[in-house]
Formats: sequence, structure tokens, C-alpha cells
Amino acid sequence: MSAETVESGASAAPRKGVSILFGLTLLGLLLFLWLLLGFATNSFWTPNNISNLLRQGAMTAILAVGQTFVIITAGIDLSVGAVVGFTSVIVAWLLAAGVPLWAAILLTLAFGVLIGAFHAFGIVRMGLPPFIITLATLTSLRGIGLLITNGSTISITNEAFTNFSRADFLGVPSLFWMVIVVAIPAYVFLHLSRFGRYLFAVGSNSEAARLSGVNVHRTIYLAYILSSTCAAFVGLLLASRIGIGNATQAEGWELQAIASSVIGGTSLFGAVGSVHGPLLGAFILATINNGANLLNVNSFWQRIITGVLIIVIVYFDQLRRRSAR
Amino acid sequence: MTELQEARDIRTEGLHVATRHPVPKGEPILELRALQKKYGAVEALKPASLTFLSGEIHAIVGENGAGKSTLIKLLTGVIKRTSGEIFWCGKPVQLDTPHEAIERGINAVHQEVVLCAHLTVAANMFLGDEINRNGLMRKRAMTDAAQRVLDDLGFNLPAAAVLGSLTIGQQQLVATARAAMRGTQFLIFDEPTAYLTRQESAQLFRLIRRLQAEGVTIVYISHRMEEVFELADRVSVLRDGTHVGTRKIGETNEAELIALMINRTIEQIYHKEHFPPGEVIVETRDLSGPGFQDVSLTVHAGEIVGLYGLIGAGRSEFALGLYGRHRPSAGEVYWQGRKVDIASERVAMDLGIALAPESRRDQGLCLNLPIGLNINLPVFSRLTRGFTINGQQERENADRQIRDLKIKTPSRRVLASAMSGGNQQKIVIGKWLSHGAKLFIFDEPTVGVDVGTKAEIYRLFARLLENGAGIILISSYLPEVYELADRLHVFRRGRLVASHDYRAASHEEVLTQAIGV
Repeated sequence: MSAETVESGASAAPRKGVSILFGLTLLGLLLFLWLLLGFATNSFWTPNNISNLLRQGAMTAILAVGQTFVIITAGIDLSVGAVVGFTSVIVAWLLAAGVPLWAAILLTLAFGVLIGAFHAFGIVRMGLPPFIITLATLTSLRGIGLLITNGSTISITNEAFTNFSRADFLGVPSLFWMVIVVAIPAYVFLHLSRFGRYLFAVGSNSEAARLSGVNVHRTIYLAYILSSTCAAFVGLLLASRIGIGNATQAEGWELQAIASSVIGGTSLFGAVGSVHGPLLGAFILATINNGANLLNVNSFWQRIITGVLIIVIVYFDQLRRRSAR
Repeated sequence: MTELQEARDIRTEGLHVATRHPVPKGEPILELRALQKKYGAVEALKPASLTFLSGEIHAIVGENGAGKSTLIKLLTGVIKRTSGEIFWCGKPVQLDTPHEAIERGINAVHQEVVLCAHLTVAANMFLGDEINRNGLMRKRAMTDAAQRVLDDLGFNLPAAAVLGSLTIGQQQLVATARAAMRGTQFLIFDEPTAYLTRQESAQLFRLIRRLQAEGVTIVYISHRMEEVFELADRVSVLRDGTHVGTRKIGETNEAELIALMINRTIEQIYHKEHFPPGEVIVETRDLSGPGFQDVSLTVHAGEIVGLYGLIGAGRSEFALGLYGRHRPSAGEVYWQGRKVDIASERVAMDLGIALAPESRRDQGLCLNLPIGLNINLPVFSRLTRGFTINGQQERENADRQIRDLKIKTPSRRVLASAMSGGNQQKIVIGKWLSHGAKLFIFDEPTVGVDVGTKAEIYRLFARLLENGAGIILISSYLPEVYELADRLHVFRRGRLVASHDYRAASHEEVLTQAIGV
């Protein structure tokens, strides 16, 4: 086997350079879309619309970053949309019960941690495939949320909480600031800390990682807890934005998150991914939706365009990887 | 007409049958002339000329890596030959696709069962050749036919059972029955008894003799001398990719065959330096675990302890047990005189044990990650300052190992998968050199590694010993452990069956103990 893989320096492109190139391509695509929409519509480059776009993209972007940690370990987290809906109920319920705001936020995030730990427990201890355990919590969490609210919604009366999502800071929507608040530590974690390296190693070859002294179980716990906690954080943002807790909210967001991650260059086979990629992916998707609205394109077409875009981008990424071999 | 022939007839409805070229018994059916296979610069099979006679049982013996599997792959069309000619029934043939091989009536029963565990025995026997009527499968007819064949062969297996519910040995028998009813002219068995019980082996031998009686030519590959002498008419010996001889079974004996298998000049590559043995690094007492039992051995500083045995003899399992991958179930481990419980890989690493595992691909490397990340994987906690990794130290550490070990790469960022076998092994070693250890376990360190790199690895052993480390060297390649180990332990079926000092026993003696004749 060994003799066939004779190394040749020129064909084995350095990995980091390629990933920067791919990031720039995505950024170029995003700017191109913005320029295009700027010419095609009068309303795209208005402060109002840009704020709106940033708000739309923000929540998917945070979900996509969490999702990426899981996908890098060669797993998948289908539950994030359900976690968003569920935690929006939890925070509304806690606030309605008179719990102080800070405590309600911390408790809601703690629920995210617990859900992620449960996923990892199912994978590591019960030997369930990630797809199955997160599919199970997807349906169960929506059910639990509906039981708590008796099928209706809980209104949130705390003004400080609901005003947050409408507020701006330095002219930029506070929701977008939250993306930065998540992305910077996520970048440090994934690209600069040893835990990030361990995520890649586990996704590439968990047995080799284990024999090199990596605590594989702990790494998997870490990935799923981060994903669910990001989702719980988005649940808080969503509750703030719509002012209610409702377990049926955020339907299908898990697919938006996975799509953003994949468009951003994450490999579903594991061991390939970044933080900036999913962020760009999320805002590309948000731009397409926003632009389609402005151009009065039937919303059904938006879904089709998104699907085609996923195929095209991932296909070109595959071509690039193959030729880099 | 036997059930076997009947079953063949059932499945021939509207299907191709192997074109039959009746070759009289004893005439050449398959002839190889200067057949050669190269992978890049490596010659896996040196030009070999071999003749298989119609209706004979022809055994092939040789050590691991002697070229047996290359030969099977060439005969079954799995790989293409580099040069040479193949004559089937006297006519030159290409034989470069599995389809062509099957078409001509050449089949193989592999050591590992390659069937569908979720389908029934009958469905597996007819897989790809299902009996149809009007496009619908005749499930009942297939089950009945399969059952008749199995009964006829005396296998006592239920045709309707799901294959996965049978033992590995029974599955092997199903695979054999499947090959037997496919119009086979030429059937290759690759170590078929590796997983069989005595009783199952006896059933298999009866089937083989019966196929021979029906005119099928059998190639039988095995490590086990007693089987070769029980079954074969002729036997061919391979060594280091060379065909070194063919004997009639009545005109040879075990000693001659073993001598042919291992008789090689001791090459210069075995670089051996002797150091005075130092303190005891590790001692196991009656250590048992999954795959090994009651193993007691000691490793001193400055010595190489060799573990020899066939694949699956428990050497690697012992190494994984000592390294904390599979927790030992009984026995004790003493580390520098102190009793320890190695509960995990981390504990082993912290004590000072390093493991270069058996399979680089499955256990040793994260192939689709950069070389640098692989080298640094065990030491990231050491490279971390506060929460983040010190990037400069990370780069320097990787570059130092690449330079010291002469890993041929333009950059530490190149993926490990782009490297050759020898360079991949160096990455695994570099990982443990940067971590540092007192006891290095090398499991098959030179498999798929070119001669030059081999020599480099052996020189590295001496450097490690000089610095006061001890080495456990596991190998299926006898000359390697024989020439390098200060003390050589032989494993067979999970147990340590014999121990020798440096060059105290002959090759023949060691091989005999490993095979257990």
C-alpha cells in the first residue's frame, strides 16, 4: 500500500493556504451578491435593510458555528432547531415565574449544557449514532416544550430583555454583536487551543487520537455541549426578538445551520472546518433570502436556490480537494 | 448426478457458465511465466514461473509478506501484473479483472468472509446469480436448492438462517459452498482454517477432496504445515516475493520446507549494538486480557525485547493491554519496581510508555491532517500556555522532528496521507520522540517500509537504547526480531510459549514454536 502513495512535493498543497483561498472565495461571493443586489434594487443598501439582514443572518451564524464543532468530529447535531424553540420556552417560563433576568439567562444556558451532555452520553456510553440521538431529542424537546406551554405560547413582559434584540450599538444591531461575541472565543478555541486540535484529530481518526493520549470521550462531550449551548444562546436571542416562548419556533433551523457550515467548507466526513467559513455561509444564505424578498421572488424559489447553491459550492470544494491531492 | 451439479444447473437458467475447457487430469491448467508485480519501485512479486496441474491440490507456503496475497490477487484479477504471461488451458489470457477470472472459473475463498451478514445463507450462496422467474426471485426454490447442497456436503447448516447468526467458521463453510456451486474450475483457499474449529476444518477438508475428485484444481495457502502434508499433492514455497521452489509432497518434509521459507542471507541492514542491561523498566506477571493469557516478561533499560508470532497470536493485543487500550483482566504490571494499574492510554503515557501501533492507517495517524499536527498530538498540553497553544513552539517542535528523522516533505503542513509508508512510519515515531518515553513499543514498525528507511529505523533503536530506554519490538518477520532482539519471546494463540536469548535458538526452532507443529 505504501509504495503507491509516493509523495511529490508540488501536488501536496499546504493546507492552510488553501483554506484561506476558500475563505476569500466565499467572501468574494458574498460581496458579489451584495453588489448585485445593490444594482438590482433600490432598497438593498438602506440602513434599515442592512440591519435586517444582519439580524436575519446572526442567529443562523451562531448555530452554524456550534454545529461546525460537532461536524469536525465527524458527527452531526440535528437537534439545534428544537433546542432553540425549547429554550425560548424555558426562558419565557422562568421570567413568567418571577426569576430575575440574569438567573433566567444562566439557567437557560445551563439547559443547553445539559442537552449537549445528554447527546454525548448517548453517543459515548450508549453507543448510539449521533444522527439517531440528536434526531430523538429533536422530536422530544419540541414535545416537552409543548407540554410546558400546553400547546400555546408564553409572552415575555420583561422589557429590558425584549428591547435588547431591537437595540443597536455603534450603529450595528446588537444581534450581530452577539455573533462577534461568539465567534472570537470560538476562533480561539478551534484554531488556537489544543482542544480545537483534538476535535480535528478525533474527527480524522479517533483510534489514533486515543492512542496518542487524547481523551476522546471528553472531546465528544465538549463538541456537543458547545453546539447545544450555542443553540440555547440563540434560543435566548429568538425569545428576545419575538417576545414569546414557543416550542414550535425555529423549525428547520438545524438544516440552515448544517447548510451554512457545509457551504463554509466543513466536511461532513469530519476533520475539515473553520469558524469563519460557517459565518460566511450563514450570511450568504441570509443574503439570498433577503435579496429574493426584495426582488419579489416567490419564497418557494428561495428554497430551490438554496438547494442548488449547496450542491454547486460543495461540488467545487470537492473538485478543489481532489486536485490538491 | 450429485446435488452440487444439480444446483449448478438450477442457477444456469439464462446465465453465463464458465466456459469449460476440459483439460485432462495432470495436464497444466494454469501456467505463470515470469509473472511479476511491482508497486512503484517495490517488487511485491519477483518474476515467478509456476504451473498448476488440472485436478491437483497445490499448497503455497511462505512467511507474512512473502508475496502470497499478491499472487492470489493476480490470479483472481484484483490487481494487474506488471509483466509476464498467464496461460489458461494452454492459451494466453489477460486475467486483469475479477469478472474475467470468475468467467473462466477461477474463484477464491478468502480468510475474512466477504459476504453479506444480514442476508440468509441461501441468499448469500446465490448472491449475484439469483434464480428468477419473470423478473421475480424464487426465494423458496433458492432456499431449497441451497439446503440440498449444504446437506449433500454434510455441513449441517440451515439455509434459511441469517448469515450473521452463524459462527465465523460456519460462515467460512458457507463461502466455500458458494464457491463450490459456481461452476468453478480453479479454487483458491487463502488460509481457510484460521478461524475454524477442528470439526469444521475436517468438514472443509472433506469438501476440498470432493471438489478435487470432481476435477476442480485447488490452490491451498496456509501457515499450518500439518494441513499442507495432509491435503496437498504438491507444494510451492515463496520467500521475499520470490518463488524458491516446488516439491512433490512425497519428496519433501517439514524441515526442508521451513528451511526454504526462511533461508535468507542476513543483510547489512540489521544494525545491532549491544548495551549493558540497566535497571528493570517494566515487568509483567501472568498478565491476561482480551487476546492474551498469562504473559510474564521483563524489559530492562538498554535492551530490545522481541515478540515473534504469527498475526493474531496475541502480541499486539498484549501491547495494547500494556498500553492501557484494553484493560488487562488479570495479572500484575510493575513499573520500575512499583506495582501500577494502567487503566488508560493517558496513564501509560504519563508513566513513560510510547506505542507505535500495528496499523499506521487505522491506529497510528490522522491521515487527512497535516504532518505537524500528527507529530504534536501527544504534546499539545505541553505546548499550551494559558489557554492557547504557543504557535512558535508548535512549529519548532514539528520541524525539529521532520529534520531529525529526515521526513521527506516540503512542509509540516502537508497531509500525512501524501507520505510514503516509510515517511508515515517516521511521523508516528516522531510523535513519540517529541513526547519522550522510557519504554518504546514498536509493533510491526517496518511493514510497507523500504529497505533504506528500515535501516534508519534500526539505527534509531540503538540511539534510544543508548539514552537508557527499553524497547519492545513486535514483528511477524523473523529475521527482524531474530537479529535485533536481546531476548526473543515467541507467542502462539495468545500465550508466550518460548523465550530465547540473542541468537540462542535457530530460525527453524523459533518458527516451529510459533507455528506449533
